[in-house]
Amino acid sequence: MARSYLFVPGNVPRMLQHAEVFEADALIFDLEDAVSLEEKDEARQLVRSFLQTHPPSQPAYVRVNADALARDFSILDGLPIHGVVLPKASIQTLASLREQLDGEEWSVLALVETPSAFLELSDLARDPGVDGLILGGVDLRAALHAHPTESGIELLYARSRLLMAARAYGIEAIDTPYAESDDAGFETDLKRSVALGFDAKCAIHPNQVPPLNAAFTPSQERIREARRIVERHEQTGEVRFSLDGRMVDRPVLEEAKQLLERAKRYKALKKEADDAD
Amino acid sequence: MRTDDLEALLDVLELRDGMRVSFHHHLRNGDAVMNEVLAALRRRGLKDLHLYASALFPVHTEAAACIEEGTIRHVTTNYVNGPVAEAIARGKLRGEFTMQTHGGRARAVLQGENAIDVAFLATPAVDAEGNGSGIYGAAACGSLGYAVEDHACAKRSVLITDSLEDFPVPGQLSASHTDHVLRLPSIGDPGGIVSGTLEVTRDPLGLKIARMATEVIRHSGLLRNGVSFQSGAGGISLAITEQFNDMLAATGTQASFFSGGIAAPHVKALERNLVEKLYDVQCFDEEAIGSLQRNTGHIPISAGDYADPTNASRVIKDLDIVILGASEVDTGFNVNVTTDSYGNLIGGSGGHSDTAEDSKLAIIVAPLFRGRTPLIQERLFTKTTSGEHIDCLVSERGIAVHPANDKLAGRLKAAGLPVVDIETLMQSAHAYTGRPKPITRGDAIGIVEGRRGDVQDTLYRKAG
Repeated sequence: MARSYLFVPGNVPRMLQHAEVFEADALIFDLEDAVSLEEKDEARQLVRSFLQTHPPSQPAYVRVNADALARDFSILDGLPIHGVVLPKASIQTLASLREQLDGEEWSVLALVETPSAFLELSDLARDPGVDGLILGGVDLRAALHAHPTESGIELLYARSRLLMAARAYGIEAIDTPYAESDDAGFETDLKRSVALGFDAKCAIHPNQVPPLNAAFTPSQERIREARRIVERHEQTGEVRFSLDGRMVDRPVLEEAKQLLERAKRYKALKKEADDAD
Repeated sequence: MRTDDLEALLDVLELRDGMRVSFHHHLRNGDAVMNEVLAALRRRGLKDLHLYASALFPVHTEAAACIEEGTIRHVTTNYVNGPVAEAIARGKLRGEFTMQTHGGRARAVLQGENAIDVAFLATPAVDAEGNGSGIYGAAACGSLGYAVEDHACAKRSVLITDSLEDFPVPGQLSASHTDHVLRLPSIGDPGGIVSGTLEVTRDPLGLKIARMATEVIRHSGLLRNGVSFQSGAGGISLAITEQFNDMLAATGTQASFFSGGIAAPHVKALERNLVEKLYDVQCFDEEAIGSLQRNTGHIPISAGDYADPTNASRVIKDLDIVILGASEVDTGFNVNVTTDSYGNLIGGSGGHSDTAEDSKLAIIVAPLFRGRTPLIQERLFTKTTSGEHIDCLVSERGIAVHPANDKLAGRLKAAGLPVVDIETLMQSAHAYTGRPKPITRGDAIGIVEGRRGDVQDTLYRKAG
């Protein structure tokens, strides 16, 4: 589970050596779109050498090339990585990936970025090897002949559909990165990701990571409210009660418990004394 | 004497070989005055002068030529880069080279330790009586803090301007100390004097360091009504200033003063009523100059009132927090801002040592390595500021707290900040850069003087 996945171009030494410090919950070392065809081999060697000598403190993934899996996997052997990101995910590419994994128990995040992938999304999400779905909004938008809008309407169906599949099979739902450079647009896009219910979002610039982590961490106000709900339940055993005029029932109770779990995971739980500050 | 003729003025001044001539650096890299005056002195065949300039920039090519030809024998300054630095590094200076601090220079001038024969003071606006100001005129630069002591104490003071005003000019340079006024067609290029807008860093490493430094301030125990703060004009410093402003606003705290060089984020704090006063020894941008004209809480001060260690009412004696940079730091927290790790002259103390010593919390902010060169060295090429005056080093990979300040370390650890010892930080940089080979020093070329006139370190030429 992570809030932020930072893409790190595999062919830029300066980005590799500093990637760890930007506080992303997970790093995705990219051998695919960030690297031109003629630089692929160099990037493979660079990423391998870097991860061997400087394994990052947070989970590391490698985004491989769907059309060059064998070559990518030739450099992944023995690396201290958490998993791989499979671009252009489909049942077919997933099968090819499984062959390369050869029993290796790496986590797989499927990058859903083609219309056809949405037609087989349930099968992708159901696959026991897949731990999460990432929406690839830029490629999908292009494939749909859609244009980026301020409201994000062009990706609303895709986002919702991906969330449904992820939730149905209990895997992570990770939103597409914001590809523009304006801060206001990023903030709007981020709020949308949180409101829809995503677990995390990808970042393509280190400066996107701190606001992204903050947005996916429950606020102190919500934590206080969730605590009161759970404490009331624990004290009385009730699963249906009224709190400050608000009706609490089992789904609300479950939501409160999940929120406290997330807060704990992201070290946002403060002591009561701190809350009073 | 009031004249438009530099040569006629120099006749009157009766300059002789070996004299000490002073200049200030408020026109920074737009300064035309030093080049014009030194060129005239060189044409006259003067020799062995002592160039006493508060700072020297790349624009000061004539000073380098004067060093090569022997017109200038000694150089004393607080900050140097560009051709003068290169000439000195090549061993062209025949006499002594001394790097002072801003406060140390003011002290040395006021106490007569560094007697100035003639002060040539670029002054953006001068009135008929000989009062001078930096706030008005075509080459407005704002505060003239580094000119005040020279003006008051030099045997002869010349205000050099391109804006002779008919109306009285209220300013820092009082007519009572002005001996001569020289008008030139232009004293400088406004484009090189101040920046239109200084850029707050967008570099993710710089922003990470800025965020951590702001958290250090938050948990230092010093964030309270009346807190005082100083930061420079670098991208990280400006980011910290903006974040500090936001923290003041969010916590309902009002600072007492910001001091030193002033830029737009400092002005913003004053105008948002987040700080009561700006004590301004130099302006870094147009916003600061405009603020001096319109804000009564924005007060120009002299270098002596800013940082002279013998001045009991100096502003920085009440300074709580200062943000400082570094080209090198050693494991004893000693700091180099004078040379890089290879011995190239890249700057100097300015107010670094002064504020580090006087402030309650001196924070060094710097990335752990630049290219393949680590920040933390086992041995500095040059010591500018003594480690005993530094409280912590904030880098992108952790915060090292000086062992003498274990109270601060405890506070930061309790707040969950990544406090690590400085040796560990050094090793983590070496994991990327390798352990650097010791640099061989060349001949001694000068000294770094502490703010009380003590010798802080010897400056060496780079070997080879």
